[in-house]
Amino acid sequence: MAKKEVEAALARGVELLSELLPLKSWLFFPILYAACVWAVRRVFDYRERILAWQVWLDPDFVRTKPDDFVLDFFRGNDALGREYAEEIARRDLRALRAAFPALYCVIGLEDAFLKALFKAEIEAADYRAVVVEFAARTAKARDDIRPAAADPAFWNALERVGREAASLGLHLLEDEEVQDMIVALIKGPVGLGPSIPPEA
Amino acid sequence: MTKPIFRSAAVVLVLALSVSCLAHLSRAKRYYADGQDQARASMTERAVASWKRAVEEAGRECRRKPSAQAFMVKGLAETNLGRWREAEASFLKAFSLGFNDGQAWASDAALSGLAASFEELGLETPALRIYGQILDKSDFKPALMIAAEKRTNLVLARVADLDPAEKTRTLAGLTKTLDRLIDKDFACGLYHYLHAQADAHLGDLRRSYEEAVMARELGLPSEKIGRDNDNGLVYCYIRLKDSLPTAERDALTAAQAGWARKWGWRDDRTPAWKKE
Repeated sequence: MAKKEVEAALARGVELLSELLPLKSWLFFPILYAACVWAVRRVFDYRERILAWQVWLDPDFVRTKPDDFVLDFFRGNDALGREYAEEIARRDLRALRAAFPALYCVIGLEDAFLKALFKAEIEAADYRAVVVEFAARTAKARDDIRPAAADPAFWNALERVGREAASLGLHLLEDEEVQDMIVALIKGPVGLGPSIPPEA
Repeated sequence: MTKPIFRSAAVVLVLALSVSCLAHLSRAKRYYADGQDQARASMTERAVASWKRAVEEAGRECRRKPSAQAFMVKGLAETNLGRWREAEASFLKAFSLGFNDGQAWASDAALSGLAASFEELGLETPALRIYGQILDKSDFKPALMIAAEKRTNLVLARVADLDPAEKTRTLAGLTKTLDRLIDKDFACGLYHYLHAQADAHLGDLRRSYEEAVMARELGLPSEKIGRDNDNGLVYCYIRLKDSLPTAERDALTAAQAGWARKWGWRDDRTPAWKKE
């Protein structure tokens, strides 16, 4: 059964990453997921892709939007509209503008890495947590990945895991299935410490 | 007997070295061109990777066989990566080896780097002045594009705090600059995108929509800007549609449906990259 074998391969990936990114398991998710997806799609510059998310993390244009665009963004998304109903009704642009840079990057632009980094909060529709956590978590991700990225073992491990998962039939699974599998492994009995956000 | 063997070996060695040098330069050029294509196709990460490879290959060529062309390719790739100091040094080297525009490009790279440093330190006013100077005087497209983008973003981030009269004046000045850039280089998608941003602030939704469509058609320098342009386009389209009389609304809906089909969108307001 491909699913079980893929799961085992991903579990080995989590173990490998835990040696290279100790006690930061929430960062495993986007990295491992990216490596697997790109291995399936036979993208060979996965290394540049993983590093490049930092380059476009906080684009300047996010702070340049007119008030109506910001309001429309919150109104136009059902879940955001519900969460920020009071601010929208009051036309509280100070509050909405404060939340906009984080939420527009994660939800408006659908940045793959950021969506993975905040998967737990998005699934729980806890958008205020995304806003509160955004600066600290992205800064931490950037800091944590830097030393690991300088270590060739990190990239070798990722490549091995991605290729192994791909060869075992990762492509037969839905994206969501793979994501849930990795999250379960990270939260599971791998013994990586309390590093995933408690609400995940 | 040994002499001809040595001569042949020397010829082979020279040939091998020439081919190797040629290979570095042609590889650098190819990576640079690939990066440009990938950036236009919104494959940002791949573009960054290609430009990095172009810098490496051009660097090897510069060490083995320095030439104006090798330093120019290196400088161009460094410019795209925002490595201003290295780009300045490369263009100066290219100039010293006979590339006439090298000095001007080096000066523009130095100014761009200086403006970026001011911005990082939170000194927006001098940064704006330098970007303005580049926009007025430079002919170096990469520096022009960066300056146009940075200046537009800085100005638009400030207009929310201005009183209405000052806001109108500031936005008029910005659109005038962008009009001038578009007149000079109509095929640059980034300028149309920036114009669309300024038009949205002015409340000119029709122009904003048209500029965003144009930007999408001509291509944008990164995936994020492309996605932001799509979001802006949809925002203008929806608001414009609601405000138009029936006949004009029908024409706009038909036009947008045509674009959406061409771009492979799921419907008139859902780009293909949107998950929901």
